[in-house]
Amino acid sequence: MHDTIPSRSGALAVAREQGRAIVAVLPYHYPRALLRAHRCHPIEVWGPPFEPGDLGALHFQAYTCGIVVKATSFLVREGFDRVDAVLVPHGCDALQGMGSVLGDFVAPTPPVLTFYPPRRARPADRAYLVEEIRALGRRLAEVSGHTPDEADWAEALAAEEAADAALADLYHRRGRLDVDDRRFYEVVRAREYLTAEDFTALAASLPEHDGAPDADGDVGLLLSGIVAEPLDLFDRLRAMGARVVADDLATGWRRVYPPSTLADPYERLADRLLAAPPDPTLGAPLDARAGLLVERLRASGARGLLIYDVTFCEPELFAVPVLRERVTAAGFGVLHVEHELGTTLPNQTLTRIEAFVETLR
Amino acid sequence: MTVAALGIDAGSTTCKAVAVDADGHSVGWRLESALPRVEAQTDALLVALALELGAADGVPVVATGYGRKLVRAATRDVTEITCHARGVFADLGTGGTLVDIGGQDAKVIRIDERGRPVDFAMNDKCAAGTGRFLEYTADRLHVPLDDLGPRSLAAPRAEHISSTCTVFAESEIVSLIAQGADVDEILLGLHRSLVSRIVAMVRGVGLTPPLLLSGGVARNDAIRELLGRETGQPVRLPSAPQLMGAYGAALLALELTR
Ligand code: SF4
Repeated sequence: MHDTIPSRSGALAVAREQGRAIVAVLPYHYPRALLRAHRCHPIEVWGPPFEPGDLGALHFQAYTCGIVVKATSFLVREGFDRVDAVLVPHGCDALQGMGSVLGDFVAPTPPVLTFYPPRRARPADRAYLVEEIRALGRRLAEVSGHTPDEADWAEALAAEEAADAALADLYHRRGRLDVDDRRFYEVVRAREYLTAEDFTALAASLPEHDGAPDADGDVGLLLSGIVAEPLDLFDRLRAMGARVVADDLATGWRRVYPPSTLADPYERLADRLLAAPPDPTLGAPLDARAGLLVERLRASGARGLLIYDVTFCEPELFAVPVLRERVTAAGFGVLHVEHELGTTLPNQTLTRIEAFVETLR
Repeated sequence: MTVAALGIDAGSTTCKAVAVDADGHSVGWRLESALPRVEAQTDALLVALALELGAADGVPVVATGYGRKLVRAATRDVTEITCHARGVFADLGTGGTLVDIGGQDAKVIRIDERGRPVDFAMNDKCAAGTGRFLEYTADRLHVPLDDLGPRSLAAPRAEHISSTCTVFAESEIVSLIAQGADVDEILLGLHRSLVSRIVAMVRGVGLTPPLLLSGGVARNDAIRELLGRETGQPVRLPSAPQLMGAYGAALLALELTR
């Protein structure tokens, strides 16, 4: 097993050596193989939590989520100097606002590209998405100076789909893996910046238990939300006698895209994005999402749903009352807590989570 | 009288310790204002209580409260949600919906028929809905804390205070004073404001009667009265509302011996 996972800076250097243009990508959904086919490499920017956020706060209202404020701050402070372009998918109003602020007011040297995934999956939405991916491809070709041929497409699709399959396999093998939650999510999140082949190798290297996994009486939780930061959360959960047996994280399971059999690369990419697990930023019907969460709670052996949201995250907060009602009615506990996307966890938040775990024993 | 277990509640405003016998009856307690050094204070408090009651060494101790992880003598630590539920259930012999209003936080806990918390809400990020809100505004109006309840209940009508936020409420008070409003009527308005905040939490968790009240603020009659009026439910208090966390912790410590 890889003991240390390369950092974002390390991955950036590797991609540069491979002659790829670096694109800083904001959350959440984008056609990754499109970037590879155009000789670009995405490094995703989720905050980062250690970023103070002061430079971003100059541009947004006080009720804007930490991801957008910190990401803007980070890009202004140092990110723009290290990348060839920035891609802002329209996941929510806050991200759309960020795209506008970056493009219109900050106006950095690297171009700011936007990408608008549709909120539904009707035939018209599908056709629109295919065109949107083509348009993004044209912008990427300007960034890298490369327009993909058939061989580029075949290589990019094979590599990225293998990495996506490795991510899906991690979730599939989860109960058998001999790693704690912290390690599991460190590896899952390495998909945000490693090259496809490095991620595939890393995921495959996680060891499995020799015998039957050790159930040890921990309280199983299904963790929902955008991003589980800081990673200390997992250590604290373990100390409380809990573990994450499944997730519904935007940085995790919600990006396990199913495979597609379509031959045209643009249609294939659109097909996979539209088949993503239910996600509010893709306009998934709340009812379907709640139903699937209940099914997954049952299947995973979780005793409760921990909704761990970034403060002021509108799409997530909007869903909480319905999720709470449906999941509670199915006999599972629900706790909703908000966090500021920082490097430490407030004592009060930990007490709530610990009390929740106690109620589930 | 033999001490079988000890519970300690290292709260943000006060530090409490309770001793129980093998039947789970409280046999002694101590309560002090909280000091900044939680480790030293809880050590001293437990030693003093154990000496006073002649407790043997090795008696199990469960710690709760915001400083629970810092109690060196603790055999185990458990959150205040579970401890309050357990303490109140044992004291009153019933589950229900418990409102606990402490110095710096307020909790609403739904307790099942076995004394276990099944759902809860906490207000711990700001002083709204906590004892600190009352303390702060009492200070602003130069009214002793113990007079708050009686004076509020004696007011013929309430001034309207729309904010549950301590800082905004203060500016409303300043305006009301400037307009010559009666202090007792302001006080009643403040109590109503606090209770409205608590009732919103109760509704969030769902009210399963009976309605129970604990924490230091339970000593304030106006809070109890207004909470009853707002919810339409009689409010029941345990015998020692401020000690329920420590008492529940002691009962959980007793379970460790079984
Ligand atoms: S989905 Fe939520 S956390 Fe993510 S950028 Fe939008 S508001 Fe922020």
